Amino acid sequence: MTRRLAVLAGVAVLVAIPPLTGNIWIQNLLILTFLLAIMASGWNIMGGYAGYISLGHSAFIGVGAYTAGILAVRWEVSPFLVAPLGGVTAAMLALVLSLATRRTRGVAFVIVTFAMLELLGIVVSNWKGLTGGSNGLLMPLPTWAVEYQNWPFYYALLTLLALSVAMTAWIARSKLGLGLVAIRDDEDKAAGIGVRTPVYKAIAFMASAVLIGVAGAVYGYYVSFLDTSAMFDIALSMEVLLAALLGGRGTVWGPLLGAFLVQPLIELTNSTLGGEDAGAIRLLLFGGLLLAVALLLPRGLLPELARLRRRRVSRTGARLAHAEVPAWLASGRRARTGEALVVHGLSKRFGGVRALDDASFSAPAGSITALIGPNGSGKTTAFNVIDGTYGLDAGRVELLGEDVTREGPTRRAFAGLGRTYQLPRLFGSLSVLENVAVASGSFSWSGLGRIAVSGEVGGRARELLGFVGLGEYVDARASDLSYGQRKLVELAQVLMLDPAVILLDEPAAGINPTLVERLAELIRALNAAGKTFVVVEHDMQFVLSLCDPVIVLSRGAVIAAGPPAAVSADPVVLDAYLGADFAVEADPIGSAR
Amino acid sequence: MIELRGVVAGYGGGDVLGGVDLSIASGSITCVVGPNGAGKSTLLRVISGLLAPRAGAVLLRGADITGASPAAVIAAGVVQVPQQGGLFGDLTVRENMLVGGHLIRRDRARLRRRLDELTDAFPIIGERAGEKAANLSGGQRRIVEFARCLITEPSVVLLDEPTLGLDPRASALVFETIQTMRRLGVTVLMVEQNVRFGFNAADDGIVMERGRVLLADTSAALLERPDMAALFFGAAPASV
Amino acid sequence: MTLAQTLIFGVLTGGVYALMSAGFTLIFGVMRVINLAHGLLLVCAAYLTWSLWERTGVDPLLLGCAISVVMYGVGWLLYRTVIARAQRIDAEIALVASFAVAVAGGGLLSLVWGTEARAATPSYFNTSFEVFGLVVPRAQLYACVGAVALLVSLYALLHATAMGRAIRACASSRSGAALVGIDVERSMAQMFAIGAATTGFGGAALAVLYQFVPDTHYAWIGLVLCVVVLGGLGSFAGAALGALVLGVGEALTATYVDTRWTTAVPFALIIVVLIVRPQGLLGTRLRIEGSTA
Repeated sequence: MTRRLAVLAGVAVLVAIPPLTGNIWIQNLLILTFLLAIMASGWNIMGGYAGYISLGHSAFIGVGAYTAGILAVRWEVSPFLVAPLGGVTAAMLALVLSLATRRTRGVAFVIVTFAMLELLGIVVSNWKGLTGGSNGLLMPLPTWAVEYQNWPFYYALLTLLALSVAMTAWIARSKLGLGLVAIRDDEDKAAGIGVRTPVYKAIAFMASAVLIGVAGAVYGYYVSFLDTSAMFDIALSMEVLLAALLGGRGTVWGPLLGAFLVQPLIELTNSTLGGEDAGAIRLLLFGGLLLAVALLLPRGLLPELARLRRRRVSRTGARLAHAEVPAWLASGRRARTGEALVVHGLSKRFGGVRALDDASFSAPAGSITALIGPNGSGKTTAFNVIDGTYGLDAGRVELLGEDVTREGPTRRAFAGLGRTYQLPRLFGSLSVLENVAVASGSFSWSGLGRIAVSGEVGGRARELLGFVGLGEYVDARASDLSYGQRKLVELAQVLMLDPAVILLDEPAAGINPTLVERLAELIRALNAAGKTFVVVEHDMQFVLSLCDPVIVLSRGAVIAAGPPAAVSADPVVLDAYLGADFAVEADPIGSAR
Repeated sequence: MIELRGVVAGYGGGDVLGGVDLSIASGSITCVVGPNGAGKSTLLRVISGLLAPRAGAVLLRGADITGASPAAVIAAGVVQVPQQGGLFGDLTVRENMLVGGHLIRRDRARLRRRLDELTDAFPIIGERAGEKAANLSGGQRRIVEFARCLITEPSVVLLDEPTLGLDPRASALVFETIQTMRRLGVTVLMVEQNVRFGFNAADDGIVMERGRVLLADTSAALLERPDMAALFFGAAPASV
Repeated sequence: MTLAQTLIFGVLTGGVYALMSAGFTLIFGVMRVINLAHGLLLVCAAYLTWSLWERTGVDPLLLGCAISVVMYGVGWLLYRTVIARAQRIDAEIALVASFAVAVAGGGLLSLVWGTEARAATPSYFNTSFEVFGLVVPRAQLYACVGAVALLVSLYALLHATAMGRAIRACASSRSGAALVGIDVERSMAQMFAIGAATTGFGGAALAVLYQFVPDTHYAWIGLVLCVVVLGGLGSFAGAALGALVLGVGEALTATYVDTRWTTAVPFALIIVVLIVRPQGLLGTRLRIEGSTA
């Protein structure tokens, strides 16, 4: 409540300033501050929420300014009228950039944004016919009275800033925002639990750019003269980065705070350090500041303050409560008859190593099938080709009777496949509840806009966490949990997809026997409710008491498959595990079985 | 030669080793086996200095080397051949040998002499000297790694799953090499998944489970225990 | 201008670019560090060369040797204070940090040396040889020879010395390197400093061949990035090839399209290559790979 009052008070003050004081210097300062804040706020959606750091964001200003400027001059209308079109071209550029992220991520992406900015600057500068080139483009003169000369710019940018903050706040609370943070933390895992990453990124990138494009149009009109070096300025990109990082990326108000700190500082240095060295000192100062922030305060002011205030959830190791399989899950997707999962002739090499060598096996509907074998036999690789993380050199994967060999991980998740990892992969920035709620077995455009965790989605997530016994931990940070608890959260996360087939990669590894028992119970309950499991495990007691059939892999090929009793007595299997590959003496190991 | 007393160690949250006591006799070959997650690799990392224990002590010939850096441990005469990543694929066989002698690189004469001696003991060093290590087969790479680890004339060699990924013939070669090492007076401590191989190659055996030593005896005695198969494929042994 | 002449210019320019990129390739190839301040180091070395040349009259290309010692120290300092620390946080922040150093450094250069365009103009400046009716500019040729000498020296350093072996071992497997007793952090710092030292030569060549102002470092980092992206980051042969392709590409653009589009060539190539063939013509991938088995 106090926050809302503070915001309203701040807005009221800002709105009142032009009528109250005719001071041009203050109006100019605020106009530039609004501009920087809009840019930082937009940058934050791409760099803070989605995790794609851009060094080229001032390109959107340039693109917006030139679009509106050129059209305003050509069509002889006010630039304000065509400013939205500046937003459109900026959004188009951002869309193209998002397509590039299919192949370039991380540092490669940063370099691409830098190259994009420089290239656009050169193109705009060379295309004299359209843009006036290095002579610049003169904007139409203002058509209103001189006393109010700055007012339209001031209020236009203030409005855009308000829109930008509102948009960020909306994204932060929505399913889209949740998905973006998941993408930032672990993009491939997000894809595997049903987040359609290309769509999410495209929307985020466009949202990141659109308001900056409009603001660029307004700014161009404000400075009356478009010139490529000012419009595609790398120093401006750096200031945006500084503002966003300083205030706190990934927060709603951080970029705003950063801008309101950085811009006045810029103006201060400009006015106090006059003379020819002013530009150089500004670069030195702000480069140094950016360096300091990057090294010492990488999360930014607001998150650091929040971290100091947050109390840690104590790991009480509370007794895991017992709960029923949620009704919607029990009546959800399942394999009806026949084989739930069939793989034919899987072959996969990495360099010279044959990880999978013409392996074929199947998991009957409603079974808990085990996949066992010594280290290096290809079990995890098998999972990775089944869930779509790796492509196959040869072979076929059929899920519920459908050939999914060509599909990516997200489509397979939608088709009913869930998978956990040897080392549980959770999204460190999200709470336990959010980690589960971000998983989704289907995609809908309208769903993106809904509140992230409430209503049916939130209810289901809570039920699942209750089912695995972590109902008390819904608000804890994923990073505060113990290893065993993280495994349970990952299971709940995967169940959110309502999968028909669930792949568990070494579920019992590294956890105490009580938890192993608990996990076995959960698996049995889910299996009774119709879910098919394929389990990779080394813990033989776990496997033999729970699974049927048991499939044995060795050196990438299947060497045995059948009921546990038969497989555990099979001499071929015993040798592969105990190692009769090499025999100095012919003595078999102990005769008693 | 090597003694561990009550060693507790782990990564991040949990403890992989929960109080390990063992002792390795000088000049012997000892093999450590156990199911996944038993802590076998972690044990080697603690001894070679890659992981500092949270509690307990590691002694070499009576001297305390708990928590010493890898370089200090090598200087003290203990060298580890890891499961993977030990051989430098981009370097040639000869360069690998030279870099293995990094700590004695200043003593050119000694390095030269050791290189010659090892080339005699392991002909492949001379035969494939100029080839990139990555181009050798798995078994050949393993041999080069073993030869390399001897270049500083260590007294103890730690082998982490020497036969991982090798076919029977290469495994036989590894077996011979381990015997050669013992002939050269080196104490060998190895971790093996291939139980039969490991116990046949070693004098003494140690069985670990869930971060503790379960059984320790001569390898011949352990091989004869009827519950060994069950241990790796089912119920716990009858008694400890 | 004939095709042959264009190609000559292209190849010579390529040679110069190879000289500028050698250190960067070394650092990325071995340490996987992308140092966006590399352009700044080049321009800084250029200014130092120019100052010394102005005062002493010693040939700038020879001064390069002395300057490279200074740049070694600068590189060591940069690694210890910024790079090592930033790399521990995450790779993208490390990129931002090196970018920040570049920006701040540009400001510093302006303060010390002002913003007028400078160039060192020794006697052979702007003269050329005539070979079979083709013009071969002298300064460029010397720079090319220097490039070859530098690349060969770096290669020799890496392949024929114990330090080089240790450094390559670190690149191959850090944990393996620790297990043979190599001080990995120290080797990394040495590596980075050597890469920085090469900018001594590159900067000296820059001072002779081009006019420069502090802001020139942006254009140079763009060119260097293009060379390594084209060639496939991490291999000297790749960098040489990439430099050649870029040099010839620019020359062809200047002759057959328009000279004002030559500055666009490196940036366009970066974007195209990173999207279409991220591993470049010869080398290792820059994009983040999916997990391996």
